[in-house]
Amino acid sequence: MSHISKIEIEIQSIEDLKQACNELGLEFREGQKDYKWYGTQRESVSGNDNQTDLGKCDHAIKVPGAKYEIGIVKKGKHYELLWDNYYTGGLEEKVGKNAGFLKQAYSIQRIKREARIKGYRVVQKKVTNGIRLVLSF
Amino acid sequence: MKEISIDISDDGEVRIETKGFKGKACLLESKFLKDLLGKQTFQELTPAYYVTQKQDTKKYLNLCG
Repeated sequence: MSHISKIEIEIQSIEDLKQACNELGLEFREGQKDYKWYGTQRESVSGNDNQTDLGKCDHAIKVPGAKYEIGIVKKGKHYELLWDNYYTGGLEEKVGKNAGFLKQAYSIQRIKREARIKGYRVVQKKVTNGIRLVLSF
Repeated sequence: MKEISIDISDDGEVRIETKGFKGKACLLESKFLKDLLGKQTFQELTPAYYVTQKQDTKKYLNLCG
Protein backbone atom coordinates (compact mmCIF):
# COMPACT_ATOMS: atom_id res chain seq x y z
CA MET A 1 0.00 0.00 0.00
CA SER A 2 0.99 3.54 -0.42
CA HIS A 3 -1.68 5.70 1.11
CA ILE A 4 -5.34 5.86 2.13
CA SER A 5 -7.66 8.85 1.73
CA LYS A 6 -11.26 9.63 2.56
CA ILE A 7 -13.23 12.05 0.40
CA GLU A 8 -16.36 14.06 1.08
CA ILE A 9 -18.44 14.11 -2.09
CA GLU A 10 -19.19 17.36 -3.90
CA ILE A 11 -21.48 17.26 -6.93
CA GLN A 12 -19.51 18.90 -9.74
CA SER A 13 -20.96 17.29 -12.86
CA ILE A 14 -24.63 17.56 -13.78
CA GLU A 15 -24.11 15.04 -16.59
CA ASP A 16 -22.88 12.40 -14.15
CA LEU A 17 -25.70 13.23 -11.74
CA LYS A 18 -28.22 12.71 -14.56
CA GLN A 19 -26.63 9.37 -15.34
CA ALA A 20 -26.76 8.40 -11.67
CA CYS A 21 -30.48 9.26 -11.60
CA ASN A 22 -31.05 7.00 -14.61
CA GLU A 23 -29.20 4.17 -12.88
CA LEU A 24 -31.42 4.51 -9.81
CA GLY A 25 -34.67 5.00 -11.72
CA LEU A 26 -35.04 8.64 -10.62
CA GLU A 27 -36.29 11.42 -12.86
CA PHE A 28 -33.90 14.35 -13.36
CA ARG A 29 -35.96 17.48 -14.03
CA GLU A 30 -33.69 19.96 -15.75
CA GLY A 31 -34.50 23.60 -15.05
CA GLN A 32 -37.23 22.91 -12.46
CA LYS A 33 -36.99 25.86 -10.09
CA ASP A 34 -38.69 24.48 -6.99
CA TYR A 35 -38.89 21.15 -5.21
CA LYS A 36 -41.58 19.66 -3.03
CA TRP A 37 -40.94 19.57 0.71
CA TYR A 38 -42.91 19.81 3.94
CA GLY A 39 -42.94 23.59 3.94
CA THR A 40 -41.79 24.53 7.41
CA GLN A 41 -38.98 22.11 8.08
CA ARG A 42 -36.32 20.74 5.80
CA GLU A 43 -32.91 19.14 5.83
CA SER A 44 -29.94 20.27 3.82
CA VAL A 45 -27.14 17.85 3.14
CA SER A 46 -24.67 20.63 3.84
CA GLY A 47 -26.95 22.30 6.37
CA ASN A 48 -25.97 25.90 5.81
CA ASP A 49 -28.58 27.46 3.54
CA ASN A 50 -30.51 30.51 4.53
CA GLN A 51 -34.27 30.69 4.81
CA THR A 52 -34.78 32.60 1.57
CA ASP A 53 -33.58 29.56 -0.35
CA LEU A 54 -36.22 27.21 1.04
CA GLY A 55 -37.86 25.22 -1.70
CA LYS A 56 -35.95 26.95 -4.50
CA CYS A 57 -33.50 25.21 -6.78
CA ASP A 58 -31.84 25.18 -10.21
CA HIS A 59 -32.87 21.61 -11.09
CA ALA A 60 -34.83 18.93 -9.25
CA ILE A 61 -35.05 15.17 -8.94
CA LYS A 62 -38.39 13.38 -8.81
CA VAL A 63 -38.21 10.13 -6.86
CA PRO A 64 -40.92 7.65 -7.91
CA GLY A 65 -43.04 6.69 -4.92
CA ALA A 66 -41.88 9.62 -2.78
CA LYS A 67 -44.03 12.64 -1.96
CA TYR A 68 -41.13 15.08 -1.68
CA GLU A 69 -38.43 15.96 -4.24
CA ILE A 70 -34.71 16.69 -4.17
CA GLY A 71 -33.58 20.20 -5.09
CA ILE A 72 -30.26 20.80 -6.83
CA VAL A 73 -28.77 24.21 -6.10
CA LYS A 74 -25.63 25.64 -7.68
CA LYS A 75 -23.17 26.93 -5.09
CA GLY A 76 -20.05 28.32 -6.71
CA LYS A 77 -18.41 25.58 -8.75
CA HIS A 78 -20.43 22.71 -7.34
CA TYR A 79 -24.03 21.74 -6.64
CA GLU A 80 -25.78 20.94 -3.37
CA LEU A 81 -28.60 18.48 -2.88
CA LEU A 82 -31.41 19.91 -0.75
CA TRP A 83 -34.25 17.83 0.57
CA ASP A 84 -36.59 17.22 3.43
CA ASN A 85 -35.83 13.87 5.00
CA TYR A 86 -38.98 13.73 7.14
CA TYR A 87 -40.15 10.14 6.82
CA THR A 88 -43.58 10.93 5.36
CA GLY A 89 -41.82 12.45 2.34
CA GLY A 90 -40.41 9.04 1.46
CA LEU A 91 -37.03 10.23 0.19
CA GLU A 92 -34.66 8.62 2.66
CA GLU A 93 -36.18 5.22 2.00
CA LYS A 94 -35.43 5.59 -1.72
CA VAL A 95 -32.11 7.46 -1.84
CA GLY A 96 -30.63 6.43 1.51
CA LYS A 97 -29.49 8.37 4.52
CA ASN A 98 -28.00 11.72 3.48
CA ALA A 99 -28.82 10.72 -0.12
CA GLY A 100 -26.09 8.08 0.16
CA PHE A 101 -27.34 5.87 -2.70
CA LEU A 102 -27.51 8.88 -5.00
CA LYS A 103 -24.00 10.05 -4.03
CA GLN A 104 -22.73 6.51 -4.49
CA ALA A 105 -24.24 6.19 -7.98
CA TYR A 106 -22.90 9.65 -8.90
CA SER A 107 -19.38 8.79 -7.70
CA ILE A 108 -19.36 5.56 -9.70
CA GLN A 109 -20.37 7.39 -12.89
CA ARG A 110 -17.85 10.15 -12.28
CA ILE A 111 -14.94 7.82 -11.60
CA LYS A 112 -15.69 5.42 -14.46
CA ARG A 113 -15.98 8.18 -17.03
CA GLU A 114 -12.71 9.88 -16.12
CA ALA A 115 -10.75 6.71 -15.41
CA ARG A 116 -11.54 5.33 -18.87
CA ILE A 117 -10.51 8.60 -20.49
CA LYS A 118 -7.19 8.26 -18.67
CA GLY A 119 -6.76 4.70 -19.91
CA TYR A 120 -7.34 2.78 -16.69
CA ARG A 121 -8.96 -0.64 -16.64
CA VAL A 122 -11.99 -0.40 -14.32
CA VAL A 123 -13.51 -3.36 -12.47
CA GLN A 124 -16.63 -2.92 -10.33
CA LYS A 125 -17.64 -5.31 -7.58
CA LYS A 126 -20.14 -5.40 -4.72
CA VAL A 127 -18.62 -5.38 -1.25
CA THR A 128 -20.12 -5.26 2.23
CA ASN A 129 -21.87 -1.90 2.66
CA GLY A 130 -21.08 -0.61 -0.79
CA ILE A 131 -19.34 -0.82 -4.15
CA ARG A 132 -15.62 -1.17 -4.94
CA LEU A 133 -14.02 0.12 -8.10
CA VAL A 134 -10.51 -1.10 -8.87
CA LEU A 135 -8.47 0.93 -11.34
CA SER A 136 -5.38 -0.68 -12.82
CA PHE A 137 -2.97 0.00 -15.64
CA MET B 1 0.89 -4.40 -9.93
CA LYS B 2 -0.23 -0.82 -9.42
CA GLU B 3 -3.84 -0.39 -8.42
CA ILE B 4 -6.16 2.26 -7.06
CA SER B 5 -9.03 0.80 -5.07
CA ILE B 6 -12.06 3.01 -4.37
CA ASP B 7 -14.73 1.93 -1.89
CA ILE B 8 -17.97 3.90 -2.11
CA SER B 9 -20.23 3.04 0.80
CA ASP B 10 -24.04 3.00 0.71
CA ASP B 11 -24.02 6.22 2.73
CA GLY B 12 -21.89 7.94 0.09
CA GLU B 13 -18.50 7.88 1.82
CA VAL B 14 -15.54 7.39 -0.48
CA ARG B 15 -12.29 5.72 0.59
CA ILE B 16 -9.35 5.58 -1.79
CA GLU B 17 -6.45 3.19 -1.31
CA THR B 18 -3.44 2.99 -3.58
CA LYS B 19 -1.38 -0.19 -3.86
CA GLY B 20 1.92 -1.01 -5.48
CA PHE B 21 3.21 2.53 -5.69
CA LYS B 22 6.42 3.71 -4.10
CA GLY B 23 6.99 7.18 -2.79
CA LYS B 24 4.95 10.17 -3.90
CA ALA B 25 3.77 8.50 -7.13
CA CYS B 26 0.64 7.30 -5.32
CA LEU B 27 -0.40 10.84 -4.43
CA LEU B 28 0.13 12.08 -7.96
CA GLU B 29 -1.65 9.12 -9.55
CA SER B 30 -4.73 9.40 -7.34
CA LYS B 31 -4.97 13.20 -7.29
CA PHE B 32 -7.36 13.27 -10.24
CA LEU B 33 -9.86 11.20 -8.24
CA LYS B 34 -9.79 13.59 -5.31
CA ASP B 35 -10.25 16.54 -7.65
CA LEU B 36 -13.17 14.78 -9.35
CA LEU B 37 -15.04 13.83 -6.23
CA GLY B 38 -14.69 16.62 -3.70
CA LYS B 39 -12.76 17.39 -0.56
CA GLN B 40 -10.25 15.12 1.14
CA THR B 41 -11.12 14.72 4.81
CA PHE B 42 -8.50 12.17 5.86
CA GLN B 43 -5.16 10.85 4.61
CA GLU B 44 -2.84 8.21 5.99
CA LEU B 45 0.53 7.48 4.45
CA THR B 46 1.59 3.85 4.63
CA PRO B 47 5.21 2.60 4.91
CA ALA B 48 5.49 2.15 1.15
CA TYR B 49 5.04 5.88 0.75
CA TYR B 50 8.41 6.43 2.37
CA VAL B 51 10.17 4.01 0.03
CA THR B 52 11.89 6.03 -2.65
CA GLN B 53 12.29 4.79 -6.20
CA LYS B 54 15.72 3.21 -6.15
CA GLN B 55 18.00 3.62 -9.13
CA ASP B 56 20.20 0.69 -9.99
CA THR B 57 23.82 1.59 -9.54
CA LYS B 58 26.68 -0.58 -10.73
CA LYS B 59 29.52 -1.16 -8.36
CA TYR B 60 32.88 -2.17 -9.76
CA LEU B 61 35.50 -4.04 -7.85
CA ASN B 62 38.94 -2.87 -8.71
CA LEU B 63 40.77 -6.08 -9.61
CA CYS B 64 43.95 -4.48 -10.89
CA GLY B 65 45.06 -3.05 -7.61
